[in-house]
Amino acid sequence: MLKISNLNVIFHTYAGEVKALNGVELSVNKSELLGLVGESGCGKTVTSLSIVGLLPPNAEVVSGEILLNEKNLLTMTKEEMRKARLKDVAIVFQDPLTYLNPVLTVGSQITEIISTEPKIFLPKLLEHRLDEIAQVENEKGRLDTQLLSEKQHLNSALETGKLDANEIKRLTRNYILSILRSVRLPHPEKALESYPFELSGGMRQRVMIAMALVRRPKLLLADEMTTALDVTVQAQILQLMKELRNDIDASVILITHDLAVVAEVCDRVAVMYAGDVVEVADVDELFKNPLHPYTQGLLASIPRVDSTIDQQSSIGGSVPNLIYPPSGCRFNPRCPKAFGKCPQTKPKLVEVSPRHLVSCFLYEE
Amino acid sequence: METNPPSETVQYGRGADIRHALHLLKRNRIVLAGAMVSVASIMLALLSGLLVNPTSWNQQNSNVILCWNNPAIDWHIINVFNCGGAVYPLGTDLYGRGLLQMIILAIPVDLCIAFEVVASAVLIGVILGGLAAYMGGLVDEIILRVTDIFLAVPGILLAIVLLVVLGRSIPVLTTAVLITWWPFYVRLVRSQVLGEKEKPYVERLHAMGAPGFRILFRHVVPNSIFPVVVQATLDIGAVILTVSALMFIGLTPDPKFPELGNLAKQGIQYLFTAPWLILFPGLTLLVISIGFNLLGDGIRDIFDPRLRR
Amino acid sequence: MRLYEYAIRRLFLMIFVLFGLSLFIFYLTRGLLPPNFAISPYITPRMDDAAKLSVARSLGVATESCPSYTAFVAQQIGCITPLWGQYAGWLENVLTGNWGLTLLPGVSGSDTTWHVFFSRFPYTAELAIAGAILTILLGIPLGVISATHNNKLPDHISRVISLGGYSVPQFWFGAMLQILFVLYIRFNGAGLLPGSSALATTCGICFNDPGRITSYSGLPIVDAILSLNFPFFWDSIVALILPAFTLAITSIGAITRIMRSSMMDVLRQDYILLAKSKGLRDRVVIYKHALKNALLPTVTVSGLLAAYLLGGVVIIEIVFSWPGVGNTALVAAEVLDINFLELYVLVTAVIIVLTNLAVDLIYAKLDPRIRY
Repeated sequence: MLKISNLNVIFHTYAGEVKALNGVELSVNKSELLGLVGESGCGKTVTSLSIVGLLPPNAEVVSGEILLNEKNLLTMTKEEMRKARLKDVAIVFQDPLTYLNPVLTVGSQITEIISTEPKIFLPKLLEHRLDEIAQVENEKGRLDTQLLSEKQHLNSALETGKLDANEIKRLTRNYILSILRSVRLPHPEKALESYPFELSGGMRQRVMIAMALVRRPKLLLADEMTTALDVTVQAQILQLMKELRNDIDASVILITHDLAVVAEVCDRVAVMYAGDVVEVADVDELFKNPLHPYTQGLLASIPRVDSTIDQQSSIGGSVPNLIYPPSGCRFNPRCPKAFGKCPQTKPKLVEVSPRHLVSCFLYEE
Repeated sequence: METNPPSETVQYGRGADIRHALHLLKRNRIVLAGAMVSVASIMLALLSGLLVNPTSWNQQNSNVILCWNNPAIDWHIINVFNCGGAVYPLGTDLYGRGLLQMIILAIPVDLCIAFEVVASAVLIGVILGGLAAYMGGLVDEIILRVTDIFLAVPGILLAIVLLVVLGRSIPVLTTAVLITWWPFYVRLVRSQVLGEKEKPYVERLHAMGAPGFRILFRHVVPNSIFPVVVQATLDIGAVILTVSALMFIGLTPDPKFPELGNLAKQGIQYLFTAPWLILFPGLTLLVISIGFNLLGDGIRDIFDPRLRR
Repeated sequence: MRLYEYAIRRLFLMIFVLFGLSLFIFYLTRGLLPPNFAISPYITPRMDDAAKLSVARSLGVATESCPSYTAFVAQQIGCITPLWGQYAGWLENVLTGNWGLTLLPGVSGSDTTWHVFFSRFPYTAELAIAGAILTILLGIPLGVISATHNNKLPDHISRVISLGGYSVPQFWFGAMLQILFVLYIRFNGAGLLPGSSALATTCGICFNDPGRITSYSGLPIVDAILSLNFPFFWDSIVALILPAFTLAITSIGAITRIMRSSMMDVLRQDYILLAKSKGLRDRVVIYKHALKNALLPTVTVSGLLAAYLLGGVVIIEIVFSWPGVGNTALVAAEVLDINFLELYVLVTAVIIVLTNLAVDLIYAKLDPRIRY
């Protein structure tokens, strides 16, 4: 559904050119929950910003394609991209305190999504309400006159595509409240009138998720969604994600540096290092059988409760300077298994066993 | 394709800060121009005694009042009196003095007063503002309310009252402008110190047993001084404008006193017959003011950590 | 705390500030000048010495035990009430509006200071209000445009205007405008715009005989509207153009800078990124999300704006011969009419403090975080 090919992004800074993404290759299938892991600075956020087209002004996409259902996001016009953000791709950010406008109410910040292009959302609003009415019909066996006339009214609106402004407002509020309930936000009506600073961190993050869900996007990007929260809240949000993935039809890319989160929620995992995707596999497969030396190092350095070790293992060296990145495979200076070919050219991402891809010369023949 | 980092490049630390600052300065021509104008005006001020006879402002030459004989500008005004023999590049004023010479004599006067006012205001601001922020409580309240009182009156009005009550002289003028200006610095320093006070290193110094005043004046104030420096540079221009405005409306000790606003004051009656009297002193004020404003802006832009790319 | 609690607190503060200011002004005028200055607005030349002495006593300046008026003027020991004793009498006069007779030349000697001040004040008010309106209408949009078109042409133009406005001497700017529009740009046989006075009858686009208006509010422009006299209205507005623009130029420069810098700050914030990522239109992002936040520092500064404008009128009124109180204040300074100056300072202070209160309330309304 989403296919990123050969994405190269550089940042022009006063200190030099930062080669942030070095030919990233990534794909996500429909309804799949892909985890994107890597250390800070490896390019996860840059990738997500490239997908939604919100890179900072000093960034340049040198080459590559981002195909969302066969449409290349990188070649879209500004207006097309904006509409894509409205209906197709939604991103949830890390720290809900700074990402919510402090002087506007929460309700205003959610409602504006729908009021931007009411025509696009009208069918969704109508269907949502019609579904509710249908549920009542199922439970009670029949509808009273008020609901019956509402149902007819809405059905005709569905065909004509027109609805009175006040009605739209009522439907919008109704829809938003139900989304807020689906993200388990307590007291949704009160939340709508509140300002962001009046809510707790966990509640704010639910609001951010709700903002994404309102659009029923095809692709949801969650960028370090739980990093700014404490552990208990983090657990709740992850639980919410698991519940939601049954309800929503979207593909999700969950960006995180925490492997535990990935193990908890994801179907597949992609590992990034210094602007490259180095390994992609199903979750269980990756944890059982990591192929890339970096992934192996990562997994080996996670402290385990069930065994004692004398010395914490870690990957030697430090993250490369992306203004002057290492040539060839960017991991080669720190790689315990590096050999002659590694510093010369960058290895391609190839499928080594079913649904398991690695970018390493150890496996390329 | 990839290269090795040059081994001599300094990427971090103080050295990089200064190199970066100079690099930005070189690239931003406008700020450079402002800096040069400010420096030029200061140098002109220092040399003015050599360029023009310092006592010449007290003289009067009735033959050549309000005349213009510089062929470079034609005012299209009827009856412009031609000065006859000697060339006056910027015409003459009401007392027959060459305007250019008077302007050169006036620049150091204005700059001097401005530096005095700004320096004193900064000093008062640092002491009172630092005290208010650091000690908090009643001291803070009192100092804040006193600044409120002074901020409730437009500076010019207070200055007029003071000059009426205490007589018109340069010291009174300087004091009057200072009284208008110090509340801003007290507030600025106070808000800076308040922010700085919360930083961890202050608590650490406290725990080490350093006395309050030492922490305040040796550590907190120097670290929060940057916006004050920027504001002071900008204010030199603003003070010059205020002082000249006060002289312009007539609060001068002597009608012949060489000061840019005072020189312009003569011009208001002869606005349509001798426009150079207001034009050139005002233009000088404009240029000096722009110079210091650009300099202040430039200092802020160059050293502001947030603007780094 | 809620909005009205905040307002009440500030009201108390305001009273304190005015009280403190009155003490300061009192000390400056009564404390630093000989006592006969305090008396002169309240006596007429026709009074004999005994009458003058009784006036001095009733004002609280001379003691009961003072033997004669000459002794009083000579500041004989025991004749002058100590300063802190005089304050009560002074305050009473201030609060009851008894400011004595005016010392200004050219005004009939039996006109009270109060009346002279308030008959001219509407002109100054007009000028100040026009300046404030211009500042807001020009300064804020310029700043916003500058920030949203950062480093492109509108930004550069705006920054030049802003720097120029902020750096220009107002008296010079006003004079230059006059030279330009009255001397050099001519229309209909006269300069395009009037150079002086509040009612323009001799300019290129003015009506020569605007007729009369009845005085409802005291403000000439408002009265012209209420009297349905269009030529008068037009002439008044035309006369206001140059002075108001000169008054506003410095604050336009300042507001543009502040607006630009705070707007640029806000546009860098995370919540703006989120707003864009929701698929909102650019215009919505700028005006709904960014502007409200960016206005906060500007609103803070607006309080100072009132003080600046009310001070600047003095200069503008001199340059443009505007018949307001600023002009008169200088005449008062010449003839040492202290009462006029005191009245001017206190009225101005009240206005400034009230404006600051209003500004703070606006800020509290804009920023919900403030009240809690």
